[in-house]
Amino acid sequence: MVDPIGGGMVALAAGIAVGATGIGAALGEQMIGSAAVGAMAEDESFFGRGLVMTVIPESIVIFGLVVALILLFVTMPTI
Amino acid sequence: MFEPQAMTKVIIAGSKDYMGVAIDALHNHNVVHITDFVDEDDDFKIGKPYASATKLSQRAVSLRSIASYLGITGKEDIPNTYPQGAIADEVDEKTERLNFEVTQVTDKISDTNSRIKDINDKKRLLDPLKSFDLPLELYSGYRSLAVFVGTLKGPPMIGDITPDYELETVPYGKGHAIALFVPREFEDDVLKRLQDQSYSALSLPKMAGTPKDLLADLDSQRSELEFEKEKSQQDLEALRKRYIDYILASDEYLSIATQKAEAPLRFATTKNAFIIEGWIPTKKLENVQSDVDRATEGHVMVATDASEAVNVEKVPIALENPMPSEPFEVLVRAFSLPRYNEIDPTTFVALIYPFLFALMLGDIGYGIVIIGIGLIVRRMLKSKGIRDLAAILVYAGVITLVFGLIYNEFFGVALVGAGGLILPAYAYPTVPRFDNVLTLLLVTLVIGILMLTLGYVLGFINEYRQHGLKHAAFAKMSWLLMLYGGVVVIIEILPPLTTGTAISISPALVGGVVLLVIGLLFLLLDEGILGIAELPSLLSNVLSYSRLLSIGIASAGIALAVNRLSYALFIDRGGVWIIFGVLMLIVGHAVNTALGILDSGLQSLRLHYVEFFTKFYRGGGMKYKPFGYERRYTEEQ
Repeated sequence: MVDPIGGGMVALAAGIAVGATGIGAALGEQMIGSAAVGAMAEDESFFGRGLVMTVIPESIVIFGLVVALILLFVTMPTI
Repeated sequence: MFEPQAMTKVIIAGSKDYMGVAIDALHNHNVVHITDFVDEDDDFKIGKPYASATKLSQRAVSLRSIASYLGITGKEDIPNTYPQGAIADEVDEKTERLNFEVTQVTDKISDTNSRIKDINDKKRLLDPLKSFDLPLELYSGYRSLAVFVGTLKGPPMIGDITPDYELETVPYGKGHAIALFVPREFEDDVLKRLQDQSYSALSLPKMAGTPKDLLADLDSQRSELEFEKEKSQQDLEALRKRYIDYILASDEYLSIATQKAEAPLRFATTKNAFIIEGWIPTKKLENVQSDVDRATEGHVMVATDASEAVNVEKVPIALENPMPSEPFEVLVRAFSLPRYNEIDPTTFVALIYPFLFALMLGDIGYGIVIIGIGLIVRRMLKSKGIRDLAAILVYAGVITLVFGLIYNEFFGVALVGAGGLILPAYAYPTVPRFDNVLTLLLVTLVIGILMLTLGYVLGFINEYRQHGLKHAAFAKMSWLLMLYGGVVVIIEILPPLTTGTAISISPALVGGVVLLVIGLLFLLLDEGILGIAELPSLLSNVLSYSRLLSIGIASAGIALAVNRLSYALFIDRGGVWIIFGVLMLIVGHAVNTALGILDSGLQSLRLHYVEFFTKFYRGGGMKYKPFGYERRYTEEQ
C-alpha cells in the first residue's frame, strides 16, 4: 500500500523536476533559437549547425525527465 | 556509398579557336565542375565573354519581363520540348513582336486603370454634394458672392456675422456637407469661423450639371471602363496561353546561351590559348576526354592533374548513394556536406533515422497514415527535396507500423489480446509501453551507447585516414574507453547507491575504473587539461537518448487521452452524440499525427546531428556544381 501523502509528494517532486527544467531549457533555447534563426536568414546552410546549437539546453530537461522517471518508477514503489 | 564520389582534377587546355566547340562539348556533358580562375598575372588573364553575351542577356531580361506580365513563373510544364535550333533562328524577331503585343495590352490596362482612378477621385469630390440640387457650374464665377463648398464638424453658425446668406447643408459622414453663399465682404470672417469648425474645402472638378446626374454618369463610365479592362485581361490571358510554351523554351535557350557565352570569364587565357581548371567525377572522365577530343579534332586536351597534393577543401562534393538510401542525403546536406576525405554518413542515417523515429511514434494506425501521406506527397509534388522527405516518411511509417505491432498500439488502443480490437483470445508477445517504462528506458540508453560507439568508431576511421593511427587512438579511442569504463562503473555502483549498502570492490568495477583512467590519459595527451571540460557531455549524450522513451510515451498518452475523452464525453451517450465523438476522434488523431511527425522527426534528427555526428563528422564540403544545364523545355539537335 502506497503512503498517500508520501506518494503525493513524490509525484509532485517528479512534476517539479520536469516542469522547472522545462522552463530552464525553454529560456535557454529561446535566446539561442532566435539567434540561430537570424543566422539562418543570412545563410541557409546554417540550418544544421543552428539546430545543434539550439537544442543544447535541452539536456537540462532530459536530466529532469530522468529524475522524474526514477522518482516515479524506482522511489514510488518503495514508499 | 560510404564516401563522396571520386573526383579527378583536370586541366582542359587548347587553342582559342576551338574554345567555343570545347565549351559546347563540356556544357552538353554537364559534369565538369569548373574552378573559377582568379589569380591574374602577366601571362594569364581572365577570359573575355563572347560578344553575344550582352545581347543575349538583354533578350533574356525583356523576355522575363514579358513572362512576369503574363504571370509565367518558369515552373510550368509544357507538352512538347522545342528543338534548340528552331528557337535560335527566330528568338530575336519573335521576342520583339511578343514584346510589342504584350506591351500594347498592358499599356491599355494601365491606361484604363488610371482613368478609373480619375473617375473615383471625381466621385469622391462630388459625393458630399449629391443631395444638393444646384448644378455644378453655379458654385463658382460670382463677383459679389463668396462660395464655400466643403465639409465641417457641425452646421455652420454665422448668423452674427451677417444675416444675409444662403446655406445648403446636410449631415455627411461624421459631420456636415455645406454649400454656403455669403457676400464677398464677409468672406474672411466667415472663413475664420468655418475653420474653427475644421472646415475642409472641396476643390470641385470643372463639370456642368447637378452632382446627382454627374455621379450617375461617372458610374456608367466606370462600369464601361471596367468592362474594357476585363476584356484586356482576357486578351492577356489568351496571349499567355498562346505563347507560354515559346516563352519557357526560349528563356531556357537564352539561359543556356548566356551561360556558354559567359563561360570564358571562368577560364585562364593567354593570347592564343585557354586553360580550364576543374573537377570531373572519375568514372565520367574517359567519356568527356574522348568526346572533347572528337569534337575539337584533337585541338583541345583534357589532361588529368595529379601533380598537386589534393587539397581536400577544394574538391567539390557529389554524394553518391544507391536508390534506397539516396533520399536521406537531404538530411546530411541540411547539416553540411562531408569533406572529400570524410565518411559520407548517409547510409548510417538511412538505417538509424527511421528506426529512432518509429521507436518514438510506434503505432500501427499512425504508421499506416504516415505511409499514406508519404506516398501521396511523393505522387503529387515534384520538388526533389519534398519528394525525398516524403520517401523518408514512408520508410519511417513502415517501421512505425512494425513498432506499433510490438507495442500493440492502434491509434492508442490495444490491437490484440484481452481488451484489444481483434483476436481477444490470441495475444502474441507484445511490449505495451506504459507497462514497461523502465525496461524501455534501459533499451533507449543501450541504443544511445551503441550509437555513440558507432560514432566514435567512424570518428576513429576518419582521424586515422586524415592524421594517422596515433592521433586517432588519442582523439577517439579515449572517449570509447571512457564510455565503456563509465558504463561498467555505473552498473557496478548504482545498485548499492540506491539501496544504501556498501560498494564492494568487484573485478568489473576495477576494470571499469582502469578503462576510465586510460581513456582520460589519452584525452589529456590529445587535448590537454581543457579536454576534461568535455567529459560531462558523455553522460548527457547517453542520457539524451532517453527522449526516445519520453516522446513516445507523450505521443501514446495523447492518443489515449483523445480516445478516452471522446468515449466518455460523446460516444457513450449514443444517438447523435456519436457523430461528435467520431469527429473528435478524427481531429484529435490528426493533430496527434502531425505532432508525431514533427516531434519524432525533429528529435530523431537531433539525435543524429548533436549526439552522433559530433563524434566523427565535421563537414564543410563544397557543393559539386557541374558546368551545364538540366534542360526541361528544349532539346539539342
